[in-house]
Amino acid sequence: MKKYMVIYRSVLIENLQYAANIAMGFISYFMIIFVFIHLWNYMYAAPDDLIAGYTKEQMIWYVMITEMIWFGARSSTIREQVSADIRGGNIAYLVNKPYYYPLYILAKYTGEWNIQLSMYIGLTIVIGITMVGGIPNFHWITIVAVVPCIILGMTIHAVFKLCISMLSFWIEDANPFQWLYDKLILVVGTIFPVEIFPVALQPMLKLTPIYTVCYGPAKLIVDFSVEKYLEILLAQVLYLGFGGIILFWLYGKGGQKLYVNGG
Amino acid sequence: MKAIEVEGLSKNFHVKHKEKGMRGSIRAIFHPQTEKICAVNNVSFGVEEGEILAFIGPNGAGKSTTIKMLTGILYPDNGRVEVLGIDPVRKRRQLAYQIGTVFGQKEQLWTHLTPYDNFHFFGAIYDLTNDAVEARIKELADIFELGEFINTPVRNLSLGQRIRCEIVASLIHKPKILFLDEPTIGLDPVVKENIRRLIKQMNRELHTTIFLTSHDIGDIEKLCKRIIIVNTGQIVLDDSMEHLKYHYLNKKIVEVKLQDEVKLPSMDGITIRKRKGGNVKFEVDTTVIKIADALHNIDTEYVEDINITNVPLENIIMEIYKAEGKVDGL
Repeated sequence: MKKYMVIYRSVLIENLQYAANIAMGFISYFMIIFVFIHLWNYMYAAPDDLIAGYTKEQMIWYVMITEMIWFGARSSTIREQVSADIRGGNIAYLVNKPYYYPLYILAKYTGEWNIQLSMYIGLTIVIGITMVGGIPNFHWITIVAVVPCIILGMTIHAVFKLCISMLSFWIEDANPFQWLYDKLILVVGTIFPVEIFPVALQPMLKLTPIYTVCYGPAKLIVDFSVEKYLEILLAQVLYLGFGGIILFWLYGKGGQKLYVNGG
Repeated sequence: MKAIEVEGLSKNFHVKHKEKGMRGSIRAIFHPQTEKICAVNNVSFGVEEGEILAFIGPNGAGKSTTIKMLTGILYPDNGRVEVLGIDPVRKRRQLAYQIGTVFGQKEQLWTHLTPYDNFHFFGAIYDLTNDAVEARIKELADIFELGEFINTPVRNLSLGQRIRCEIVASLIHKPKILFLDEPTIGLDPVVKENIRRLIKQMNRELHTTIFLTSHDIGDIEKLCKRIIIVNTGQIVLDDSMEHLKYHYLNKKIVEVKLQDEVKLPSMDGITIRKRKGGNVKFEVDTTVIKIADALHNIDTEYVEDINITNVPLENIIMEIYKAEGKVDGL
């Protein structure tokens, strides 16, 4: 485990040099949030209205938190690097070290999202407090409870992205699948909460990773309940176990098919 | 004791084959065709502990594929490999603790970190304690003369400095075998010479077995005592450098500068390589004609300068490459 901590620490050191680059993403984040604040202000006719069980403040905070997670989770390591490593054969030079390649990538990714998400959390709090106001009925203790959910959600996201990247062992380009997954998460779990979709569709959405990656942590922050917390935590643990098994199976099978360009 | 034992090693690749043009591309969608390429074909050899072995061949000969099978990266289709008594396929991670690899065309260092941080990183990867890493860094920094730039980010280093750091990173865990794949590629002659000196010193002082592939004849000539030449996936020569040179030293290159253009009599064992005015370059096969007899044909009165050299090792190896397995008579 120590070696993965060192990988994580090295990425932190490396990425701290790019804090300014990460901050450039703030512009896109701000523009999206600005649009949604105005959209929901328009949609909610009266301040006490509820849409899908959410007050206006809860709805806007929900979008801000899911977007914060989305922007914090952006990583070329899990999206492009793994596919490129496999396709270009660079993986050959990484797998001959005494670590497990998927865990090496996960440690790198964790170092990346830790810095990105920390910066976006700061921005979200500033925008939220100044433009929306506080979250109704929010208790600071909620944060302590939700932190494991955020960590699990980010890891599940990475595991599924890595599973898609591992398809590069068999197919020329896994990017179309990455695109599909990203758009699914973005549209279904990020911009709108699950409750806004038709009731018949909701159980199906709860079976997808969307429920555990963005929806779960954001829902708990804006509307915490112990029952929901345990439900989401259980779903996350199951998803991580399931995703992990698929990832290691794909990696094991794919490794045997490794073809290295240039010998 | 053998550090590496290879027996009947084979590896095939299935490469996609597409006909030219748009028609070929469309046809490839419905009728994909693959071509079987035999990268390594029934290769057997052994490497002694502490030996420096040159494993060379033209591009596409199967050198890198063999290295990748020896280090557990690629799975062989057939044959048996044992590196330090470990099967690289079954126990790749266990083997990783015992070997180091440097691929001259690939970076393993983290470019935004300093060499010092990189060495600590690699030390941790190999489960070394901080004290052990510190001691090792000090030892290797002295041997490889890293003092001046050990705290400069890798991205700011020159190629020569980076390669030295790459080698040190590969040695941080005291590997028993170091695989060097073109370690001096792209380096200037002075840096090349420096790297070779350091590799030799490392082999002498740390008794590390070195498995070297390179297209640079200088690397091979100056570092290795034994050479294996592969071509089209097969071993075409496995011999000591001394023996190789001895067999080919029966050919001499004679360069003569004469006052005037003089016609040399045609004789068995003499092949004119180049002629321009009074300058003549010819090859003498000393198994056919003695060098003294060959020189007798030149009127010394007209000779301004004469130079006799061995056939360069590069030419010897090129001849072997061209022979493609027809070198039994060596």
